[in-house]
Amino acid sequence: MTHKFTVLIIEDEKNILAFVGKVLKKHEYRVLCADNGSEGLNLIHSQCPDVILLDLGLPDMDGISIIREVRTWTSTPIIVISARSAEKEKVSALDLGADDYITKPFGTSELLARIRASLRHSNRLITDSTLYIRPYQSGGLCLDFSKRLLTIDGREIHLTPIEYKIVAFLAQNSGKVMTYASILSNVWGPYADDDNKILRVNMANIRRKLESDPAQPQYIFTEVGVGYRMKEDEFDTGDPAQG
Amino acid sequence: MKKLFFRNLGVTLLCLIIATALSFLFFHFGRGNSANIALIYILALILTALNTQGYLFGIFASLFCVAAVNVFFTYPFFKMDFSLDGYPVTFVGMLAISLITSTTTTRMKKQKAILEERDKKLAEADKERIRANLLRAISHDLRTPLTSIIGSSASFMEDYEELTEEDRLELVSNINEDAHWLLNMVENLLTVTRIQNDSGKVRKSLEVVEEVVGEAINRVRKRHPDLVVNVDMPEDFLMIPMDATLIEQVMINLLENAFLHSGSDAPVNLVIENQEDQVAFHIRDYGIGLDEAQIPYIFEGKYHSDNTDSYRGIGIGLSICKTIITAHDGTICASNHEKGAEFTFILPKEKETEDDA
Repeated sequence: MTHKFTVLIIEDEKNILAFVGKVLKKHEYRVLCADNGSEGLNLIHSQCPDVILLDLGLPDMDGISIIREVRTWTSTPIIVISARSAEKEKVSALDLGADDYITKPFGTSELLARIRASLRHSNRLITDSTLYIRPYQSGGLCLDFSKRLLTIDGREIHLTPIEYKIVAFLAQNSGKVMTYASILSNVWGPYADDDNKILRVNMANIRRKLESDPAQPQYIFTEVGVGYRMKEDEFDTGDPAQG
Repeated sequence: MKKLFFRNLGVTLLCLIIATALSFLFFHFGRGNSANIALIYILALILTALNTQGYLFGIFASLFCVAAVNVFFTYPFFKMDFSLDGYPVTFVGMLAISLITSTTTTRMKKQKAILEERDKKLAEADKERIRANLLRAISHDLRTPLTSIIGSSASFMEDYEELTEEDRLELVSNINEDAHWLLNMVENLLTVTRIQNDSGKVRKSLEVVEEVVGEAINRVRKRHPDLVVNVDMPEDFLMIPMDATLIEQVMINLLENAFLHSGSDAPVNLVIENQEDQVAFHIRDYGIGLDEAQIPYIFEGKYHSDNTDSYRGIGIGLSICKTIITAHDGTICASNHEKGAEFTFILPKEKETEDDA
């Protein structure tokens, strides 16, 4: 691939900017940097980056307001950089339209995985709708959307309709965190109860069916207080559906 | 302020009315003996002065008493008569009683307030001292890895040419390791700030036990990929009220201790027990065990082993565990089993309903 994806980093800490910039350049991304919000917005308007990495604590403006402003005219993936203890902040950023978040401090592999996942999902919508029909695969788990069939190591797993809907929704957004609210409205409809206990009960059942050890899951991870994240799709297009 | 005024007024009027009513009773049945009546008024006066703030009401009450005795209970009845013998003496006496009582009461109240203030200040100072001690311990603990980071990085930059590839890698991996240690410490400290916000209590929400356990293990495994944890938990769907970030921190600290300080690579056991109205978490390692003599003080931030350096920070981590669990109305304890150390913490379940689904 000759075309490089452009990543815009909006972050006021010079050292983090430098380190993330170096890592991304090394992995064949074109990197734009902004150390404050207004410069960041200018770059988004003029350069139309493919991914935006956004630190919420900026000196000149609230990061949340940048998400709000950007979401009025583009669906460019936004990955929020945030502190660990601020679940509320993460959830509100995600609900306003951020695609994902990464918690400070993060490792390079984690950062690259997040960027990959976000890019894949944003491109899938525009370019290749057949990707939706391609099964999700990760480790021994394979989910065939057209047959509504979930197998682990070739063994068929029976899911209730609700459980299937949850797993399918997470698999379609694999690698990205999905908030409780977004799963609830996608599975139970827009008028679903705010109480996420029903979702958590269903998740517990799914874990017991999918994971060999529910306390150390391999496929669906919990982001406590925020939502769930399914393991990244392995993107092996050559592998046909099993069963 | 206004409320206080009306309260004082109320007390004063009540005392005086009761005194007057009693006096009338005495006057009727006691055949005009006004000595007892004066006593009753003096009693009312003292009570008024005791139960009101400032001098104003006391003085008012004494004026009223003098006037009442004069008008109601001395000849000529229902008429002011200033020509009575010893009248000024009665008046001055009543006034003096009221003033003295008021002064004493006011002074007593002031002293009580001062004492309370002093107690509060002492408690505050105590808290401040504990905080200062903690800060000192932490600063000391932080200085060691920072020294190593600064030294290693400086050596990396200055002696870059002379160092072999192997040395460079060693320096950088030392920096990495120390930075991770620092991060762990900082996260522990941040959790404490989540507790102290409102009077030692935490903001709890219902969390699924296995999710919190899963995330904690995941986090530890990120730092220590070699750690193996065997989880043994009941099939039930368990939800208990907690601040998940804090409980995760407790599990992270305990699992990490088990991995780093047990002196063994054997898998760590995490056993979760669903008891009647509480959930118990046991973290067992299969290593050298704890120093029995130190177990009683282990959560006080004072655990030291012969090999002090490898234990740096362990004390603070454990005392933070204790703080977190106590804030959740739970208990935590340490012990040795036959083959190693065991830490147990217990969290209460939600009170009203059983969480079965």
